[in-house]
Amino acid sequence: MPEIFIDGERYEFEGKPKLLQFILDNGKEVPFFCYHPEMSAPANCRQCYVKVGTPVQNRETGEYELDENGERVIRWFPKMQTSCSMEMTDGMVVHTQETSEEVARAQKDTMELILINHPLDCPICDQAGECPLQIQTYKYGPEGSRFEVKKVHKPKRVELGPRVTLDAERCINCTRCVRFTEEISGTHQLTISSRGDKNYPITAPGMEFDDPYSLNTVDICPVGALTSTDFRFKARVWEMNQTPSIDITGGKGTNVDLWTRDNLVLRLTPRYNKNVNTHWMPDEARQAYRKFNENRISRPSIKADGDNQIKTSWNNAIETFAEKLESVKPADVMVLGSAHASVEENYSLMKLFSTWGVNDFHFSPDVKDGFGDNFLLTDDQAPNTNGVKALGFNEISTDDLKTAIKSAKVIVLLNDELVDRGVLGSEDLEKPFVISLATNETETSKSTDLVIPITCIAEHAASYVNVEGRIQRSLPAKETKYTHRKMDLEMSEGRLDRYGTNFDNWVNEDNKIDCTPTWELMNNLAKRLGLSVQFGSSREIMDEIASSVSTFEGVSFERMDDENGIQLTGITKEEVSA
Amino acid sequence: MSFDWKSYTPVIIPDIPNLHEIDVYTNNGGYESLKKVLSNDWDPEKVINEVKAANIRGRGGAGFNAGLKWSFMPKPDGGPRYLACNGDESEPGTFKDRKIFEYNPHLFIEGALIAAYAMQCSAIYVYIRGEYYSWIKMMEKALKDAYDKGFIGKNILGSGFDVEFHVTGGAGAYICGEETSMLESLEGKRGYPRVKPPFPAQKGLWGRPTTINNIETLSCVPLVIKNGADWFTGIGAETHPGPVLYGISGHVNRPGVYELPTGMPILTLIEEVAGGMRNGKKLKGIIPGGSSTPILRGDALEGVNMDADSLREAGSMMGTAGMIVMDEDTDMVEMLWRISHFYHHESCGQCTPCREGTGWLEKILLKIRNGDGEIRDLELLIDLCSQMEGRTICALADAAAWPVRYTIDRFRDEFEARCKKSTYALA
Ligand SMILES: Cc1cc2nc3c(=O)[nH]c(=O)nc-3n(C[C@H](O)[C@H](O)[C@H](O)COP(=O)(O)O)c2cc1C
Ligand code: SF4
Ligand code: SF4
Ligand code: SF4
Ligand code: FES
Repeated sequence: MPEIFIDGERYEFEGKPKLLQFILDNGKEVPFFCYHPEMSAPANCRQCYVKVGTPVQNRETGEYELDENGERVIRWFPKMQTSCSMEMTDGMVVHTQETSEEVARAQKDTMELILINHPLDCPICDQAGECPLQIQTYKYGPEGSRFEVKKVHKPKRVELGPRVTLDAERCINCTRCVRFTEEISGTHQLTISSRGDKNYPITAPGMEFDDPYSLNTVDICPVGALTSTDFRFKARVWEMNQTPSIDITGGKGTNVDLWTRDNLVLRLTPRYNKNVNTHWMPDEARQAYRKFNENRISRPSIKADGDNQIKTSWNNAIETFAEKLESVKPADVMVLGSAHASVEENYSLMKLFSTWGVNDFHFSPDVKDGFGDNFLLTDDQAPNTNGVKALGFNEISTDDLKTAIKSAKVIVLLNDELVDRGVLGSEDLEKPFVISLATNETETSKSTDLVIPITCIAEHAASYVNVEGRIQRSLPAKETKYTHRKMDLEMSEGRLDRYGTNFDNWVNEDNKIDCTPTWELMNNLAKRLGLSVQFGSSREIMDEIASSVSTFEGVSFERMDDENGIQLTGITKEEVSA
Repeated sequence: MSFDWKSYTPVIIPDIPNLHEIDVYTNNGGYESLKKVLSNDWDPEKVINEVKAANIRGRGGAGFNAGLKWSFMPKPDGGPRYLACNGDESEPGTFKDRKIFEYNPHLFIEGALIAAYAMQCSAIYVYIRGEYYSWIKMMEKALKDAYDKGFIGKNILGSGFDVEFHVTGGAGAYICGEETSMLESLEGKRGYPRVKPPFPAQKGLWGRPTTINNIETLSCVPLVIKNGADWFTGIGAETHPGPVLYGISGHVNRPGVYELPTGMPILTLIEEVAGGMRNGKKLKGIIPGGSSTPILRGDALEGVNMDADSLREAGSMMGTAGMIVMDEDTDMVEMLWRISHFYHHESCGQCTPCREGTGWLEKILLKIRNGDGEIRDLELLIDLCSQMEGRTICALADAAAWPVRYTIDRFRDEFEARCKKSTYALA
């Protein structure tokens, strides 16, 4: 196998990797800005310099020539090479900044030049704390500045489009954003304008940067030049907790991180998963954070006189729920699962009600034909259509649903905005007693008789099966009234959790929602109904599902975590798009 | 040099009235070289070998053997292959290709056609700087005439060889003269030089094998075919032979483009060819081949000739043979600032050392020019040159750094005299 020597260490490689990527893959570091693994390498930042040589071979025999000490004779490239664009060859010898003064010096030189016209306004820059320029300047940059002349001034606060704002002075002209629109999203909306140190990215005159994936440029911009218009100035990176999760606005199951502070989700960013979304995420999915914070249902409510809903106690809610069930036969109860809820929620609902005697379980698919783009947007608008189906919920068409509702006396509706998305009219829900288990106040929840607040994906650990049949899970990112960051081991901790004291406790009680996971609600209901159904944590529920539902065989939270999601067999992509 | 330059008869821009007209050109032996190579006994390989033997060193600046460059083209695979002719001519002090456009465009066209035949190219592009508007128009006319006469197009002169020929005008960017930047520009993109490898011969225009040559380089080709490689190598300097267009500008009595053999003594060019220094002033220095080539002191020109070897020995380069002559009144600080201003303005901005370095160089020089500089700024300038040279995608950064490095080195007293004593040392 071909070999390469980096800083004196021998590595083997296959194929034709590029040197920088190989170095990074092997846990070493060389500073860089313009390179991005998903895009072409323009080698324009000149930061990733290394010293490279190749062994001298005898032209006839192909054997390596040896010096008097028996060491291979190395022919060094006369100039240092940018490792991002350097193709590796057998026997290559490389020195990074760790073993070459010359390389360290060259990197420092480039850094000095990058910084001369940079505003260095880190204290008011959104990128601070997660800024490759800031980080690499600390590690590889020069001390102080020799720049004693006037900096270049460029446009600031330029609204490139509806979602992205540019500060051209901070731009280091790495062209990542431009290449993104050329090579990834394909809209070609950005280009570099002007020349030399007057360069900056911009749209064509009169055009907007309204690319449906525009906010990815904010993520890949190695400086604070491109910022999210929505998130700008809202929070410092180090104040937030970062929790891995899954996008729930579509069927792709894009991996995301939820960024929280004071139990509010402040932004969503894509999380790398090479089998799903790689580095990217649609702009629309980033808006989901609002749903986690706004219009949340906190405490149960019940319809009192007329259409007026009033808050009620949990005891009363459970009691009413149970009484309504006991007043009818199981056949008069219609249970609707939801492709917008997790596998564990749907499962606990199904298990309780089948134990109680209900036989039919349905859900209403949420598919918008033609919405998908063969990239990260899918026709399927729900995150768990495959999951709810695999559990045994049957798809029900709008017409059948309307008919079925007419004969039902009690309807139990798991988080699904049937009225809001036009499947039902609120009048359809007038006759039966409708109990909705919901996260947000919507037209649907307002049309129901009893509303029980449940946790959203930002508050629970649960699994979702995407359109391709891949099961992935969320982690709780924000506390509810009944959970605590330091008690729940699944919860991420931020700087303040770890280093704060009780006196600077930053957790704002206002933002804790009075809600409970669906499975805990089912536990309370089972207890009241005298059923021997009892769920542990969602982790345990998944273990139970894995041993009882064939599609989920072998699935566990541990495996999902280790393998970054699991491709379920027995679910094919075609099944969903039907 | 025993050579009597006055007896030299120009062959690139010969003294024939209206030679730019195709009939005049053909009546004077034009397109005969093309006919010769398209006849049966010349295969492409033979053309390449003849041109290689002539050692036409690229007149665009780098001085690379044209025939050798052609031989780097991969074997034809049936797909398109290109010849891109570089008429961007934007380096300050360089104005010789325009003479060819104006006085002998068909010589260039014929040379390009022969080159295309030798490399089996399917199309030729000539990229002419946008400011040369009238010559773009003239080139269009000349190409149309050549098409009409059957020298370009399908089955040229019944040989079975096909080639198309297109003209493109630049849009005012010096960087588009850099060969890979020119390819981007030809493709309709922003003129950002490409990272090499891959080299244009592997992946050039639209990803296909491409060779780039300067206009003057190609104009030598029909002459080589007509008179033989030996004739060419017998002219001028042994290692850098042939006729060359010297563009002489600055403080001389007769600035202009002069066709003479390579290897001319610089002092002969100034004193005799260009009519001597203006107003009888003393010679202070020259920039031999376009503004990027290192300046030479006037008192160090004895025995220095205009060819690659002699100029290397003297500490400079042949470049484009566009010689800028400066007299004793020239303010070297002002001159260098002005050159740096040019490179700052023309840097494409793609790579860090050049984008930032060219601006910084200019700003420091401006400060020195305005009397606000300090001695330590000179060290900083030299340091910056080292941070730019050889660290960029294309050679513009070197072109910007060399004048600074060598002008300060060779006229240091003048710079120091303009600087204040440093109040504190360079960090
Ligand atoms: C910044 C820059 C500008 C250049 N401008 C020109 C130009 O205007 N004309 C030209 O012929 N070559 C120019 N060159 C040189 C070309 O890159 C290339 O070497 C040349 O066209 C090759 O032709 P030749 O081998 O016939 O000389 C430039 C190079 C650089 C780095
Ligand atoms: S982009 Fe980075 S280095 Fe520049 S001001 Fe912002 S945080 Fe600081
Ligand atoms: S805006 Fe950011 S991503 Fe775009 S070129 Fe500038 S630094 Fe790079
Ligand atoms: S060296 Fe200068 S002109 Fe050449 S690619 Fe880099 S920035 Fe552009
Ligand atoms: S990462 Fe920018 S040059 Fe290599």
